Amino acid sequence: MTAAPIGARRMWPLRAAVLTYLALLVGLPVGYLFYNAFSSGFGAFWRAVTQPAAVSALWLSAKIALVVVPVNTVVGIGAALLLARRRFVGRRFLDLTFDVPIAVSPIIIGLALLLAYAPLGSWFGPWLARHGIMAIFSPTGIALASMAVSLPYVLRSVVPVLVEVGETQEAAARTLGAGAWRRFFTITLPAIRWGVLYGVTLTLARTLGEFGAVLVVSGNQSKTQTMTLWIANEWEQNYNELSSFAGAVVLASISIVVLVVLSILRSREKRLHVDIA
Amino acid sequence: MSISLDQVTKRFGVTFGVEDVTTEIPSGALTAILGPSGAGKSTLLRLIGGLVTPDAGRISIDGEDVTDVDPRHRNIGFCFQNYAPFRHMTVAKNVAYGLKVRHRPRAEIAARVTEMLELVRLSDLAGRYPAQLSGGELQRMALARALAIEPRVLLLDEPFGALDAQVRGELRTWIKELHDAVHVTTVLVTHDQNEAMEIADNLLVLNEGRVAQVGTPTELYDHPASEFVLRFLGPSTTLDGQAVRPHDLEVVGPTEGTPAVVTEVATLGFEIRVSLRLDDGQELWAQMSRAQFQALAIGVGDRVGLRRRPGAAARPAQAAPDAATTTSTDGAPVTTPDDQGRALTR
Repeated sequence: MTAAPIGARRMWPLRAAVLTYLALLVGLPVGYLFYNAFSSGFGAFWRAVTQPAAVSALWLSAKIALVVVPVNTVVGIGAALLLARRRFVGRRFLDLTFDVPIAVSPIIIGLALLLAYAPLGSWFGPWLARHGIMAIFSPTGIALASMAVSLPYVLRSVVPVLVEVGETQEAAARTLGAGAWRRFFTITLPAIRWGVLYGVTLTLARTLGEFGAVLVVSGNQSKTQTMTLWIANEWEQNYNELSSFAGAVVLASISIVVLVVLSILRSREKRLHVDIA
Repeated sequence: MSISLDQVTKRFGVTFGVEDVTTEIPSGALTAILGPSGAGKSTLLRLIGGLVTPDAGRISIDGEDVTDVDPRHRNIGFCFQNYAPFRHMTVAKNVAYGLKVRHRPRAEIAARVTEMLELVRLSDLAGRYPAQLSGGELQRMALARALAIEPRVLLLDEPFGALDAQVRGELRTWIKELHDAVHVTTVLVTHDQNEAMEIADNLLVLNEGRVAQVGTPTELYDHPASEFVLRFLGPSTTLDGQAVRPHDLEVVGPTEGTPAVVTEVATLGFEIRVSLRLDDGQELWAQMSRAQFQALAIGVGDRVGLRRRPGAAARPAQAAPDAATTTSTDGAPVTTPDDQGRALTR
């Protein structure tokens, strides 16, 4: 009793409330989902997730993520450096613009992309189509939509770290003879790495999980069916509950594994360097 | 390696800029840039280091014009006010950084790092991370990192600013010793005139971005070029329109000198501070040893005469500071450099 922090006793109702809330919103539904996915046995689960449509959907999702995550990481870090380190005309406008994709509904992003890039009756679509590029109703369109909706995550995770770290380490490296790229890779990037990794995790999660914007630009063909679209399709069109549950479990597991790996890496890093907050 | 500045100007808003600075910083010496806050001391250091580009004027190091040379090619050692440790690197890696950038052979880097860590007495902490070091240790690591590249000049921005009094004193002595051992042209910025007088071979006093005076500590103390320099380099008071030092005031019999009344006597260890009021109401104070005070046999309310010691440094006072700024309520004179600086810049 004596070792308990002051107020610990008074904290338990709050703790119980938070846990109940989490259980009702996340724990129970997700747990029930996992339970249902395996209700007909592991064999049925395995057959559901290894059917060709499921595998190709998962593969498409992976390919989209492989493009979107690196691109948005590079763009996010670049934009973060610009916003945190430079003062220029239009800086606040740029800052706000980056948040638009997550401030508005994904369906709006999807429709806007459709309007701009659809092969018929859009601004750039017909021109692109003449050059053999199908910007919409294609994996390219899905990548575009995923990039748009996951645009600000790296930026928003990195800017506060950059501001906190400050510029003197870079200035010190400069006086020691380091050029701009060397300063970036040996000083700046290691200093912001946790911000970057956190942003990458969020970008990956959003890209794998995006439904609304992708739905609009996919045109609902089998070659443009991502994992989320396949799950929804199995549920709504094919009335195949087990497939949709199994697919959902696979998708959820990927995200959970990524989060757990990040947290393990981080706690190990904390033990090695006491300075990492 | 000498540093010369020729009509260097850098303007920011109202403060922190430097205006038309022309000076020569001698090779091998330890020079302190001294001045009140906002006088442009750090800006001057950053101009030499290349971290700030001048609006006008030329800067050369060892005869080479470096005005347009990127700091990475100036070959200078710069120690930042907050030490700027590379937080994700060990002490040894921090020190090795500049050498790695220069693509020196691995064995040479290792040898140089060992040598530097011995020099700054951090050999035992080579494998630690900056977060595990104290302020004084970080400062020494920053010095080793800057010195490892064998810089032409060493620039230190407020090297003792963030340390507590005891560490400050130790490090001050140590930097002096280090400079005697390494003999690299060193420029340090400080707002503490005692620190500068103790450690530096040369002082460069800045006031509102302009050079107020350059010279050895003794030259500046004995022959201040202006009232500002006199007041900045230690306690001061005003008698007969002249800024003087309180220990240069002689208390004599009431028939000699300027008549005054003793208003307060404060004993501060071995020193006595005698507060006085002139007939026109101006307050001032004199400082003397206990023996001198006892020989005078004066007390509060006594009428005395005041005069300046022969040969004492004195400069015409622009405006006699009012009573409130020369003497605080407890009788202790308020003469910190910053206060003086601000009073004069108003």
